[in-house]
Amino acid sequence: MDRTETPLISVRELSKRFILRKKREPGALFREKETVQALREVSFDIARGELVGYIGPNGAGKSTTVKILSGILTPDGGEVRACGKVPWKERKSYVRRIGVVFGQRMQLWWDVPVLDSYTLLKEIYRIPEKSYRERLGELTEALDLSGLLRTPLRQMSLGQRMRAELCGSLLHRPELLFLDEPTIGLDAVSKLALRDFLKWENQRYRTTVLLTTHDMEDIAALCPRVMVLGHGRKLYDGTLQTLLGRYDRLRTAEVRYDREDCVPVLPEGIRVERTGEGYRLCYRPETLPTGELLSLLQKAGPIRELTVQPQNIDRMIADMYREMDL
Amino acid sequence: MRAYLSVFRMRLRMETHYRGAVLGGILCQIFFGLILVALYRTLYMGKPQERPFAHVAAYVWLQQAFFRMLLSSDADLMDKIRTGAIAYDLCRPLDLYGFYYARIMAQKLMGSLLRGIPMLVFACLLPAGWGLCAPASPQALLAALPALLLGLMCVCAMENITMAFTMRTLDPRGIQALMNLAMMILCGNVLPLTLFPDRWQRVLALLPYAQMLDAPIRLYTGEYGPERAGEVLLIQAVWTGALILLGASLWRRNRKRLLVQGG
Repeated sequence: MDRTETPLISVRELSKRFILRKKREPGALFREKETVQALREVSFDIARGELVGYIGPNGAGKSTTVKILSGILTPDGGEVRACGKVPWKERKSYVRRIGVVFGQRMQLWWDVPVLDSYTLLKEIYRIPEKSYRERLGELTEALDLSGLLRTPLRQMSLGQRMRAELCGSLLHRPELLFLDEPTIGLDAVSKLALRDFLKWENQRYRTTVLLTTHDMEDIAALCPRVMVLGHGRKLYDGTLQTLLGRYDRLRTAEVRYDREDCVPVLPEGIRVERTGEGYRLCYRPETLPTGELLSLLQKAGPIRELTVQPQNIDRMIADMYREMDL
Repeated sequence: MRAYLSVFRMRLRMETHYRGAVLGGILCQIFFGLILVALYRTLYMGKPQERPFAHVAAYVWLQQAFFRMLLSSDADLMDKIRTGAIAYDLCRPLDLYGFYYARIMAQKLMGSLLRGIPMLVFACLLPAGWGLCAPASPQALLAALPALLLGLMCVCAMENITMAFTMRTLDPRGIQALMNLAMMILCGNVLPLTLFPDRWQRVLALLPYAQMLDAPIRLYTGEYGPERAGEVLLIQAVWTGALILLGASLWRRNRKRLLVQGG
């Protein structure tokens, strides 16, 4: 298929609201209802083979989007076509072609070896025996699960469990993969392994991936394209670099002097904090070039150590959410 | 179909893993069986009833042996609803009603066989007047077995309805307590239905609860003669069918108004 093929996922003006019943007010006869607008006219396209990050603060509507795209929820308005189907209408034939990982929930059986859970998935998705064996072999190798197939889920660490869950979601070779916070709670090694695996799967099979996460390192490592959602609206759709470029103007400098009593004198508007042995300060190179900063710092005394770093990615995202008023 | 069979097999196998629970269940049910039989013996000594005592003792033992069939006990399934892990099952190419029906049935079947068979052996070994009597006739046993199977199907249908309600309330405890209370009394587990006043029995015997264990037990003891077997099985089948239809429609409606909470 060529580049101009129709997008694998096409979402138009998708809306979803939830009606929650509030606790009854004292003295009131009926419980009041509260409407929460989880998604407001969200539109986007995703082409086959793309790796797209989907970010936004808690409660932005990310998981709602994933649940609609995986056929679990029915939206109130808008259109979705994914793999050429409407998820909530042609659910059974559609869900055969997708894989879903909910990082906070479990699909594998708790008390039985994971291999038994996989066998059940094989029957559920009617995977032919040969294809199942090949795929299981490939996935156990890529996810480093070979020693764990006979282990019940309850005996696994969180990292092992997530790898096992991911394997379960990919056995039926989905062309479209939804990952809802897959790295939540994982240690650094497991996170890196998971990212490597997702890259491998995407490159090898052109599996399309939509990844929601709060871990910006995940996005930076995996997703050339990122969408930002807030209060149910799509706020940004483009590369991570462009997005961060808007917020990447601050630098953090840490300075340590030879003597403890040296106090730098800096112009207004520069945040200075005392750290254990020196100072940490935030500045914008556009208003205060780094060279000028350096000479100001040197006036206070001989510098022993100086580091200048771009701002932490999480800090940038927090600034961005604040600026977007989320 | 293979997916449903596969989950059935898996749940059967899983049930055999909990040996401690099986042993505990057997001891507990034997204890209750002995107490109830002793209680009804005392009752009969004071004021003999029309029904032969051997039937009452058989009723008690069969109820206790298949106790596991009655109460809902698949905690994993309820947890799935409570925690939202059910989201995974909702995005499978499956009919969830059938999938859960198969799972519940396997659990009840294996659970009650593992407990029931040793218990029935125990009850047969008890001295006369305390234990389980032989079936009224070979035909009675032959009629009781399919009735027991239909009873199992009826319980599973009922439990799936409880599940469907749990999906609305998100906490199984309220509805389960209510359903279990109704189940224990109207099934004849607390007091054999045969000991209720005759006019009550005419109504009780028509309720869905009486189709679960009461009908097969009465066929076993000959309370319902073999000539009535067809009629009894028919009532059971009608109730089972009706409960399955009701449960499946509740599940379909649940899917439409579903809300999976939390990120």
